[in-house]
Amino acid sequence: MAKIKVVHYINQFFAQIGGEEKADYPAEIRVGEVVGPGMALTASFKDDAEIIATIVCGDSYFNENLEKAKADILAMVKEQAPDVFIAGPAFNAGRYGVACATISAAVQEELGIPALTGMYVENPGADMFKNQVYMIATKNNAAGMRDAVSKMAPLALKLAKGEPIGASAEEGYMPNGIRVNFFEKERGSQRAVKMLLKKLNDKPFVTEYPMPDFDRVDPNPAVKDLAHAKIALVTSGGIVPKGNPDHIESSSASHYGEYDITGVYDLTEETYETAHGGYDPVYANKDSDRVLPVDVLRDLEKEGVIGELHNKFYTTTGNGTSVANSKAFAAEFSQKLLAAGVDAVILTST
Amino acid sequence: MSKGNYIVITNNPLVFEKLKDGHEVIYREISYEEILKDVRDRIHDGHRLLTHPLSGSVKPNETPYKSILITKGKEKMDDWSVQIIESAIQACRKFEFKSDKYGAGVYKDFQMIDWTLLESGLASADLW
Amino acid sequence: MRLEMGHIYIKDIQFGPESKIEDGVLYVSEEAVKAVALEEEKIKSVSLDIARPGESVRITPVKDVIEPRVKVEGRGGIFPGVISKTDTVGEGKTYALKGMAVVTAGKIVGFQEGIIDMTGPGAEYTPFSKTQNLVMVCEPEEGIEPHDYEKAVRLAGFRVAVYIGELARDLTPDETKVYETCTIKEGIEKYPDLPRVAYVQMLQSQGLLHDTYVYGVDAKRIVPTILSPTEIMDGAIVSGNCVSACDKNPTYVHLNNPVVHDLFEQHGKTLNFVCQIITNENVYLADKLRSSDWTAKLCKMLDLDGVIVSQEGFGNPDTDLILNCKKIEAEGVKTVIITDEYAGRDGKSQSLADADPAADAVITGGNANQVIILPKLDKVIGTLDYVTKIAGASEETLREDGSLEVELQVITGATNETGFNKLSAR
Repeated sequence: MAKIKVVHYINQFFAQIGGEEKADYPAEIRVGEVVGPGMALTASFKDDAEIIATIVCGDSYFNENLEKAKADILAMVKEQAPDVFIAGPAFNAGRYGVACATISAAVQEELGIPALTGMYVENPGADMFKNQVYMIATKNNAAGMRDAVSKMAPLALKLAKGEPIGASAEEGYMPNGIRVNFFEKERGSQRAVKMLLKKLNDKPFVTEYPMPDFDRVDPNPAVKDLAHAKIALVTSGGIVPKGNPDHIESSSASHYGEYDITGVYDLTEETYETAHGGYDPVYANKDSDRVLPVDVLRDLEKEGVIGELHNKFYTTTGNGTSVANSKAFAAEFSQKLLAAGVDAVILTST
Repeated sequence: MSKGNYIVITNNPLVFEKLKDGHEVIYREISYEEILKDVRDRIHDGHRLLTHPLSGSVKPNETPYKSILITKGKEKMDDWSVQIIESAIQACRKFEFKSDKYGAGVYKDFQMIDWTLLESGLASADLW
Repeated sequence: MRLEMGHIYIKDIQFGPESKIEDGVLYVSEEAVKAVALEEEKIKSVSLDIARPGESVRITPVKDVIEPRVKVEGRGGIFPGVISKTDTVGEGKTYALKGMAVVTAGKIVGFQEGIIDMTGPGAEYTPFSKTQNLVMVCEPEEGIEPHDYEKAVRLAGFRVAVYIGELARDLTPDETKVYETCTIKEGIEKYPDLPRVAYVQMLQSQGLLHDTYVYGVDAKRIVPTILSPTEIMDGAIVSGNCVSACDKNPTYVHLNNPVVHDLFEQHGKTLNFVCQIITNENVYLADKLRSSDWTAKLCKMLDLDGVIVSQEGFGNPDTDLILNCKKIEAEGVKTVIITDEYAGRDGKSQSLADADPAADAVITGGNANQVIILPKLDKVIGTLDYVTKIAGASEETLREDGSLEVELQVITGATNETGFNKLSAR
């Protein structure tokens, strides 16, 4: 049987071009060359596979010229038409990890060539792409090369051959949100007893089913003096001035809007609308106060129930918008709210 | 809990037949998942769940029938009820839909099982 | 309590003119066994068959699996409050016929489930492909209600298992194991430095075809209580549960509860196995709150350091599991929970219908939605008519070449939640 063809991606450091000072090294392909960690991979492949080309790219270059770098590298890979694409391992190098993860996912998605990478679980590239591409969990520095390669090489062969991939615990990849059955060496009750003994002795243990992430936020203490508080409105319901001047996307929003409502007492059909694409907009477009209750808060302001309504509101569409983006938006405008002396926020969603 | 203090929400004609005299029963010819959603809406309105919406080991989308007990009175929205009903609605989608693929006789058995599950809940409810 | 378990290995089952055990072979008089089963008035007829490991045989729809045992010394008898008179069991001497099982089958409801394949890929998943199985297919009297039928088949199975167990009364066991627990005070004195550990077993108790009996008492009518872990070895807990084949506990699993056995392995070495706590999984939410309060209270009163909690079934019991875990952890008692998963055919869905950060130590029996192809086998014991209607299967299940495309759900014991198997998931 013909050997499996592999294209390998590494950065300027592992290609021994240089460190940070050479991080702007543009992408290049070295056909027929095996470079750096490629040696260890080749040894691990034995006669089953060979690296037919190595792509080298500086970490800064990749991340700062993302679209061009991606397109160039994809073209290089496409021309080689390998059976599998391997990037890294990147260990705990942040920009290298992001590059490995990004390009692996792109090769897999756009070229239909199976791909894998490897990095430390806390590398930012891991969180971004571990559910899209197989990612071997490595140690946090290059001393873990041998261990990383011993898992990456066999998984790469399986991917290239289209063989079924086992559970994360068997293959060594990071859990990717897909539960896969496999047979353990001991029955469940024995595993339970062992886990309990570890837990009782305060030794580390690994649960077989991590509970879903509970990103719960403890509520702040109640506002003591509402009659003198400055209240702001924030929404993920997509309310924007008519015409959506900042082009907030109807789904997977990439930004948020900040709008002045000085002197605005009522959101009308003529002046406001929703940009949100995830619910029937008819009622929100007819009267945007239904999502962003400016009218009611103006009433409360007048009645003296609240001190005042902050003169700016912040808005985006929560429809399919990533948690990372949402967090980034809020981190930014929370500072603005604090700076403006806002005491409390009413956050409305749809 | 006396009979006057709870409501049965069901799409099971057998339950309706057995309980319509003497119990408050809301019988609707809708799907299993729609029954859960109907109950969810009532929970948001202040009713509290009395029986678990995923009662029974017969899976959602396998049996078409579901009967649930909720309080008749309304209070402040009960968080635990919301959490349970939302998880139940999510769980529905994990199972292949095959409620419409059985021979006629099987539906009678599904109705009977749903009834007996509800009956075990009623037995507890009537103790209160 | 001290119980001596004598194991008698059965390497084959054969029909013969007289029921007896000789050189590890169980000879069964069909006539005698049928007479025992037909003591249940609601059963019209019984057909018997033998299924051996490796044979091209499929048994379905399976109701229960039972290991024959006999009480040779000490109080009470096997299945107290059900077959034997009510008396506290769990001490003295008991013999078990290892390597075999009595399997009851019968169409109790139209969607009756439970497949045991003796060979092929399905056999990998069910623990009962490794036992010599005496299968009883029970036909009911005309016009019988499902709950009467279920009860009749349940009891007929126990009667036959007890009848066969009796054949071993005067034999010498091939192997003997001793299980001994201490009283509370003895335990503290004997093992002052070992962590105090108990096993919290949740029993299926939702209603008809979802019931479990403790000394004959319907488990939905109990408040949580404690047992000596040896009591289950004499049949203190039996199954009346016919639904969810993959994660219901057949009586065989209750008799051989693996958590009990594996905790006994460590008893006096790394931990002090204090007792077994049983609780239920009722449909009524207030019952759940009360029962979980009680399990947590018992854990505290017993000064436990840790517990293993096992579940039975899907959905509704997830709520009990999480309540138990949360409340027991809140008492400062460390927990490990055992469950199985319904993560969808693609493995991408939320596995449980409830969750809590306190549940940080979970053992899983695998994803019950995983699809498996069961090839056509030469012989079917029971009937395939209903296979197409079982959980995780559909009318379209039967493929052209006679193979079945089903989810693991339909295989008896496949994702057992007492940790009976090696199957897991990540």
